[in-house]
Amino acid sequence: MATLKQPTALKQPSVLPGFGLTFGFTTFFLCAVVLIPLAALVLMTASMTWHDFVKVVFSARALGSYRLSFGASFLAATINLVFGFIIAWTLVRYEFPGRKAIDALIDMPFALPTAVSGIALTTVFAENGWIGQYLVVWGIKVAYTWIGVTVALTLIGLPFAVRSVQPALLEVQRDLEDAAETLGAGRFYIFRRIILPTVLPALLTGFTLAFARAVGEYGSVIFIAGNLPLKTEITPLLIVIRLEEFDYKGAAALGFVMLVISFAFLLMINLLQAWGRKRLTSRVR
Amino acid sequence: MSITLDQVTKRYQGSPVVNDVSLDIGDGEFFVLLGPSGSGKSTLLRAIAGLSGVDHGRISLHGRDVTHLSAKERGVGLVFQNYALFRHMTVADNIEFALRVRRVKAADRRKRRQELLRLVALEGMDERMPAQLSGGQQQRVAVARALAHKPEVLLLDEPFGALDAKIREELRRTIRQVQRELKISTVLVTHDQEEAFALADRIGVMNLGRLLEVGKPQELYASPATRFVATFLGAANLILARQTKDGIRFGKTPVSAPAPGPLHGAREHEVVAVVRPEEVEIAQTREDLTSNYLTRGTLEELVFTGALERLRIRIDDGPDAPPLSNSNGSGPALLEVTRTQHEQRAFEIETGQDVAIGVRRVHILPTPLSSFTACATSESLAEALVQQPLLTELASRMKTRVSLRVEPKLGMPNADCETPLVFSGTTVIASHSEVAYQAQWLLQRGAEEILVLPQNAGAPQRVLIHWADESVRRATLAVSASILRHVSAEAIYIGILPTHTPAAQRPHGMRALLDARSEAQAVHGLEMRTELRFGDVSNELVRQLAELPGQMLILGIRGNKDLAERFGSLFADAHWPVLIVHREHEGPSA
Repeated sequence: MATLKQPTALKQPSVLPGFGLTFGFTTFFLCAVVLIPLAALVLMTASMTWHDFVKVVFSARALGSYRLSFGASFLAATINLVFGFIIAWTLVRYEFPGRKAIDALIDMPFALPTAVSGIALTTVFAENGWIGQYLVVWGIKVAYTWIGVTVALTLIGLPFAVRSVQPALLEVQRDLEDAAETLGAGRFYIFRRIILPTVLPALLTGFTLAFARAVGEYGSVIFIAGNLPLKTEITPLLIVIRLEEFDYKGAAALGFVMLVISFAFLLMINLLQAWGRKRLTSRVR
Repeated sequence: MSITLDQVTKRYQGSPVVNDVSLDIGDGEFFVLLGPSGSGKSTLLRAIAGLSGVDHGRISLHGRDVTHLSAKERGVGLVFQNYALFRHMTVADNIEFALRVRRVKAADRRKRRQELLRLVALEGMDERMPAQLSGGQQQRVAVARALAHKPEVLLLDEPFGALDAKIREELRRTIRQVQRELKISTVLVTHDQEEAFALADRIGVMNLGRLLEVGKPQELYASPATRFVATFLGAANLILARQTKDGIRFGKTPVSAPAPGPLHGAREHEVVAVVRPEEVEIAQTREDLTSNYLTRGTLEELVFTGALERLRIRIDDGPDAPPLSNSNGSGPALLEVTRTQHEQRAFEIETGQDVAIGVRRVHILPTPLSSFTACATSESLAEALVQQPLLTELASRMKTRVSLRVEPKLGMPNADCETPLVFSGTTVIASHSEVAYQAQWLLQRGAEEILVLPQNAGAPQRVLIHWADESVRRATLAVSASILRHVSAEAIYIGILPTHTPAAQRPHGMRALLDARSEAQAVHGLEMRTELRFGDVSNELVRQLAELPGQMLILGIRGNKDLAERFGSLFADAHWPVLIVHREHEGPSA
C-alpha cells in the first residue's frame, strides 16, 4: 500500500521512463507555440478601448467577412461530410482496380501548397476555364464569387472528412447489416438506424476538422475569391489587409473574434460527441 | 418439410464452396451442420438466410420457394458468432428491432419483448446496453432478437464460438430448451462434434463443400459410411482389412464384423475398418482378452486426462500384422486407445510394456477405395509417382497409405508379375504413350481400380464420369462418390449415344441419364449433373477433357481385353488423370 502514497506526478504510467521530462516538454511547447501567441492576441485586443473594438469588429466589412468565412466553411464542411462519407464508403466496401491509387489521391490536398490549388481552381472555374465556361451558360459563376470560396474550402477539407470516417466504417461489422436485414430492415432503414449511429462520432470529428481547416484557410481562397469587400472577402484576408495598413490592434481584434467563434463551435461539437459516446458506453457497471 | 435444399451450389472464384447440397429438414427439427472450417457450412447457412445468393439449385422454406428472395423477405432468425448486437441500442431496442421495422404497436412490442426475455432468462435487463452484458448474456439477447418476429426457421452460426466452456454449456441448454418450447426448425453450424452430439436431432457432416452424411448422432458415430465422418466425429483407428468369402480378416486373424456388401467376383479384396479407441481392449496375454484378438503391440505413450486414459500403441511388425490405414510416410502409425478408470484398475500398464490387443467392435466402411499402390517398372519411377501432387493429396485427405510396388515387366504381354500377389486397393501408374497397355496388363492380373496419373496433375475441379457398360454403373458410381468426397470438385456424368441414334431412341438415352443421377443420389449420396453427347465415346470424352484444364475422368469398364483399342486415345500422353474402374462381372445387386 506504500506505493499508493507516492505523489501522482512521480508515478510512471508507462514502461518508458521520463514522464517528468516529457511532461515538461509538452507544457513548454504548448506554451511557446499555442498559449503565449494566443495570449498576446488577447492582450493586444485588451489594449483597445471598448468603443474602438466594437467599431472594428462590427464594421459592415468585418461582418460581411465573418458571414463569408464561417458560412462558406460550414457549407464546405457539410459538403465534405456527405461526399467524404460516400468516398470513404466506396474505398472501404468495394474492391475495384485503382482503389489504392484513389486512396492515395485523397491525401493530395494535404501535400499541395494551398496557393497552387487556389490558382488551379481559378484556372478551371474562371469564366473561360475548362469547367467554368460550361457553368456560365447556366448562369452560374464560380470564380470570384462565394461559390468559388466554397469550392476551395471543400477541396482542402476533403481529406479530413474521408480520413476520419474511413477507420470507423472499417469497424462497422458486416454482420450488423446482415442481422438487420434478416430482421426485416430495408436498406435505408439499415443505413439510418445501424450504420449512421455507429459512424456518427467519426463523421462529427471529420466535420469539425474540415470546418476548422476551412476557417483558417487563406492561401487557396484569395486567388479564387476575387476579394471584393462585403462580398467575397474572407476574415483572414481582412486581417492581412489590416496588418498591411499597420493597424495591428484592428487585426488582433478580428483575430480575437475568429478565435472566440471557432472555439465556441469546436467546443459545441466536442460536447455533442462526448454525449454520443456516453450513450454507447457510459452505463457500464 | 420446413427447409428443403435442392442441389444448392455456391461458387467462389470459380471453385465450388458449397457443392450440390440437397437436404430436407423437418418441422421442429434441430439440425446441426458439422464440419471443419472452410467446409462451406457457414456459406450454406448464409444461403438459407438469403444473405448470399446461390449459383445453382433451389431453397424452399415451408414449401415456399425462396431461392430468389432477399434476406429481408425470407425473415428467418439468424444468430451470429460475434452476437452482432446493435451496440448503440438498449437490450429492449435490440429485441424490438424486428417489430419496430414491422410497425408493431408499442404495447405489443413490450409484451413480446418481455416474453422473450423470460424465455432466455434475462428478465429485467431491458434497459442495459450490450456493452454492460457478459458474452453469454449478449448471445441470449441475440437469440431473443432473432426470435422476436416469430420466424419459421432459426439459424445459428457457431453461436458458442466466442464463449468459455462453462457458459457455453449453460447457453447450449438454454437454446435447446427454447427450441423445444417453440418447436421451431433450427439449423446450427459448428465445428465442435461434442456440441453437435449434445444438441442435434440429426447431424449433417460437411467437408470441402459437400454434405457427406446425414444421420442421427448415434448412427453416424457407430456406423459412418465415409472415412471423413469416421475420423471427424471422434477419434478412429482406420485399419486395412480384407473381405473374403469367409468374412472379414485382419491380416490372418478373422474378426466378426458385418461386411459392407456382398463380395463381387471370386477374389477377396481390401476394405477399411473403423475401430473406435474405446472399442480396443488390451490385456497381458491373448487368453486374457474378452474380445476378438487383433495382434500384439508395445505401449508407446500414456496420457492421463481425468476420466479417461489415452494410450498409443505401436503394433508389432510381422507378416500377419494388420496395417493401419493412416501409416503414411513418417513412420508407422500408432493405434489409439482410450480406457476408463475401471479398465485402468483392472489392468495397470506402463510405457514400453508388451500387450495383447483385442477389438470389441469393428465397423467396415462401405467405401470402395481403400489404399493406393504406386506401381512402376523401377524403384525410382515408383518413388517419383508417389510424390505426384494429386496422389499425395488424395492419400492425405483419405488418411490412407501409399505403398510402392515394382513390376519390371509391367505392360509386357504374357509376362507374369514378380510377386504372385493380388493387386489390392487402387493401383497407380504414370501416364505415358504406352500406358493403356500397362493398364490392360494390370486389369488382366486382377487390378480393379487403376489411377493413371499425368505429370504434376493437381486436384481436379471437375470430375467427368462415364461407364462403358451398364453393368458397371453401380461400381463406377461408388468409386466416384468416394473420390468426390475428398476433392472439392463438381461431378458431371457424361452419357454418350452413337451419332446415328434414331430420334425415337433418344428419350431412352435421356431416361438412362436421369436414372443414373437418381441412383447416384439415392445410393451413394453423390450429387452430379448430367450431360448427353452424341458421337464416338472415346472422341467425345477426349474432346470434353481437352476443353478445360483441371478435369479428371472416372471411367467404368467391363472386361479387360480391349481397353487399349477402345480407349487408347484417352490415355496417350494425356494431361488429365483417369481413374479406371473395372469389374469383370458385377455381383448380384444388394
